[in-house]
Amino acid sequence: MRAPSTLHPLTSLTAAGCTAVITTAAGTWPLSLAVALAAVVLARRAGAGRRVLGTAAAVLLPLGLSLLLLHGLFFPEGRTVLAAWGPARVTAEGLAFAWEAGTRTGACVLVLLLFSFTVSAPDLVAALAARGLPPQFGFVLASALTLLPAMAGRLERIRAAQESRGLVLRGGVLPRLAAVRLQMVPLVLGLIEESGNRAQALDARGFGAAGPRTSYRQVTDPPAQRRLRTAMLLLTAAAVALRLVASWPGAGPV
Amino acid sequence: MTATEPAAATAASVLAAAAAATSSVLAAAAAAATAPAPAGAVAATGAALAARIGSFSFHGEATPALHGLDLSIRPGILTAVLGGSGSGKTTLGKLLAGWHRPGHSGTLTGSLTLAGEPLTFRGLEDDPRINPSAWSTRVGYVPQDAAAMLSTVRSTVAEELAFGLENRGTPRPDMLRAVAGTAELTGLTALLARDPATLSGGELRRLAMACAVIQNPGVLVLDEPLASLDAAGIIQVRDLINRLTGAGTAVVLLSQSADGLARSAGHWIILDGGTASASGLPRELIRSAELARTGTVLPRVIHTVPAVRASAPEPGAAPVLELEGLGFGYPGTGDAAREPLLRDLGLTVRPGEIVAVTGPNGAGKSTLLRHLNGLLRPHTGEVRVQGRSIAGTPTGRIAASVGLLFQHPRDQLFERTVLREASFGLRRLHGRGAGARAHEALEAVGLSGAAQSHPAELPASQQRLLALATVLARCPAVLALDEPTVGLDRHGLERLDHAVAAAAARGAAVVLVTHDAAYARATAHRVLALDGGRLREG
Repeated sequence: MRAPSTLHPLTSLTAAGCTAVITTAAGTWPLSLAVALAAVVLARRAGAGRRVLGTAAAVLLPLGLSLLLLHGLFFPEGRTVLAAWGPARVTAEGLAFAWEAGTRTGACVLVLLLFSFTVSAPDLVAALAARGLPPQFGFVLASALTLLPAMAGRLERIRAAQESRGLVLRGGVLPRLAAVRLQMVPLVLGLIEESGNRAQALDARGFGAAGPRTSYRQVTDPPAQRRLRTAMLLLTAAAVALRLVASWPGAGPV
Repeated sequence: MTATEPAAATAASVLAAAAAATSSVLAAAAAAATAPAPAGAVAATGAALAARIGSFSFHGEATPALHGLDLSIRPGILTAVLGGSGSGKTTLGKLLAGWHRPGHSGTLTGSLTLAGEPLTFRGLEDDPRINPSAWSTRVGYVPQDAAAMLSTVRSTVAEELAFGLENRGTPRPDMLRAVAGTAELTGLTALLARDPATLSGGELRRLAMACAVIQNPGVLVLDEPLASLDAAGIIQVRDLINRLTGAGTAVVLLSQSADGLARSAGHWIILDGGTASASGLPRELIRSAELARTGTVLPRVIHTVPAVRASAPEPGAAPVLELEGLGFGYPGTGDAAREPLLRDLGLTVRPGEIVAVTGPNGAGKSTLLRHLNGLLRPHTGEVRVQGRSIAGTPTGRIAASVGLLFQHPRDQLFERTVLREASFGLRRLHGRGAGARAHEALEAVGLSGAAQSHPAELPASQQRLLALATVLARCPAVLALDEPTVGLDRHGLERLDHAVAAAAARGAAVVLVTHDAAYARATAHRVLALDGGRLREG
C-alpha cells in the first residue's frame, strides 16, 4: 500500500535532498547511521518499510561488498595492517574508510528511497508544473513512475499467453533465460506499437499544443512549509560552506 | 434533458478558450479556419462535417485504404457507418477526426469540410496541414480500445477528464465546471475520484467518450462503442449517445454489427472495400444486397438460426473437464475486504459438449476460464482434465490438453508473423507435422493468405481469428474461449461457429464465456450463468 506523505511534495523533496547533502558534507559515520535509522523508522511508519528496505538492499549490498573489497583490501594509505595476503592487505584505515563511505551512501540511498516511495507522484508533477516546469517533463516523470508497473503487467500477459501455448517455465536457469529472451521481443514491440497509438491520442487531447498550460490538481502549500524549505536550504548551504572551509588547505583525506 | 444543460453552459466557455487555438487548425491555408461555430449555427448551414475522398492511401501502400467516398454528417443525427472487418471503418473514422492526418499518415485527394469551411487536399506538399489538437476540439474520436484514449498519467477520473483542458490552458474555474458538467452528462459523477485503472469496461468506455465530449465537439466519431460491454454497459452508452444527439452533436457510429444502436441511427453508410457501396435510411438498407455482401453482422439472423449446430454429446461418456468445489478470490486491494469471486463452483463437461457461461462484466467469467489451464490456481477445490487433477502441473504442460482463447487477442499475440504465431509451441506437440497443423488452423479461420503479415497489422476481427487459430492448431481436448464473438464480423462469426462445431465433433469439450446471451443460446448445449461465484442453469 502506498501511503502518501502529508507534506507538500516539494517540502519532502527538499528535506530528502538537504538531508542527503548535509550527511555527505558532515561525513561522520554516527550521523550517517542516525539518518539511515531515522529513514527506516519513518518508512515503517508510512507503511513503506518493506519496499524501501527491499530496494535499498538491492542497491546497497553489491555496493557495500565492492567498497569492502576495494578499500578494505587495497587502501594505499592504510598503515595498521590487520592481515595480509600478497598484495592484498586488510588495514584498519581501509576498513574505517569503507565503513564511513558505506554508511554515508546508505543514508543517502535510504532517504531518497523514503521520498520516492512516499511522495504522491501526481502531487509532485502538479507542484512542479505549477512552478513552470514544462508539461512534457512532468509527463515523462509521471510516465517513468508508472512505466515499471505497466511493463510488469505487460510482461505478465505475454508470459501467460506463452505458457498457455506450451511454454514451461520450470527447471533451471537456462530455460528461464530462454523464456526471458522470448518475452523481451514481444515486450519491446508491444511497447513501441502502444506508444504509436498513444501519440495519436495525446495529440488529439492537445498535448502537443503550444501556449500556456493550466493544472486541475491543486496542491496546497502552507506558508510554514515554504519557510521550512527556505530554512533547510540555508542550513544545507551553511553545512556545505563549513565543510569547504574546514577542508580547504592542508586538510587530510576525507 | 436537464442533465445536458450544465455541460452545454460549460461548453461555451470551454470553446471560448479553445477558440484561441483554433486559428492554428491549419498551419498552411489557414484563411478558412476561424472560431468554431456552435452546434446550433451549424444546423442552419447543413452538414457538421462533409468528406469527399477521392482516395486515401497510407504511406508506402500501393492500394488506397479508402476511395470514391462522399459523406455528409448532420448535427443532432446518429450516422452509422457499417461494414465488415477490413472495410476501412477505422481508417475513415481516424481520417475524419484528424487522428490520421493527410500528408502525415498518408496521402489524401479530396476535401474535408468542417462546419462549412472546406479544406482541399491534392496529395501535394503544399496541402493544408491539420493541427490535431485544434481539430479535435471540433471532431472528437473514441477508439475501439477505449484505454488507448487515456493519458495514463492522471490518478483520478476527474484529472483524466481535465487533461485535454489543461493542455489548452483552460482556466481552472472553467475546468471545474466542464469536468462536473461532462461527468453528469456521461454518468461519471460518482466515479470522479476513482483511479482510471480500476474502472470496468463500460465505465472505461464512458470515460473515453467523456474525454472527447468535454471539448464539446460538434462531431463525435465512435469506433465500435458497444464492443465487449454487458447489457448494463450497453444501456449506459446508448443513453449517452441519445443525450448527445439530443443536444445537437453529430454522432458517427463505426460498427460491424447492425445491432439495436445502429438501427436507431438516422442515416446509414455501408462501407465495402474502402468505398461506400450504399447509403440511405436504415429501413431501406437493412435488407439490401449491399449490406448482405459486407461482413456486417445482422444479430437476429445470426443468433436465431445458427449456421452450424454441433450434435448433442454422448451422455454416458467420461467427462473431459471437471471442476469441483472451486473457490478463488484475488488478494484484497485497499481497505475493502473482497468477497471471493468463485465459491464452491462445480462443472462437468463431457466430450463433444459445448457449455456457455454468461454473466455481467466483473462476475468472474475470465477468472473461471483461467483456472482451466492453470494460469490461476484455486484456493479450494480441484480442476480435473481427462480425469487427472492439474494441481502441481505447470500451465505449459496443461496447454497440451487445454487451449485458452484470451479475452483480448493482443494479449495472446506476440510473434512477428501470422504463421510464426500459429506455429508457436507446436513442434513439441506435433513434431514434424507442426507446420501442416499451423497451416490447417490458419486455413480454418481464413487467414492462409495473410501468413506472412505482422499480427499487429491485422484488423481487430482477424486478430481474434488468429488467436483462435493458435488454439485450434493445438487440437486440445478442452477449448476455453473467452468472449470469442467480440469484434468478429459475420464472416468471422461463421468461421468461429464452424471451428467450435468441428472441435465438438472430434470430441473436445468446449467452454465459452460470453456476455452475448443470444449467441450462447444459439451455440451451446448448455447455458450457465455465473452468479454470486457459482454456476447455475441460465
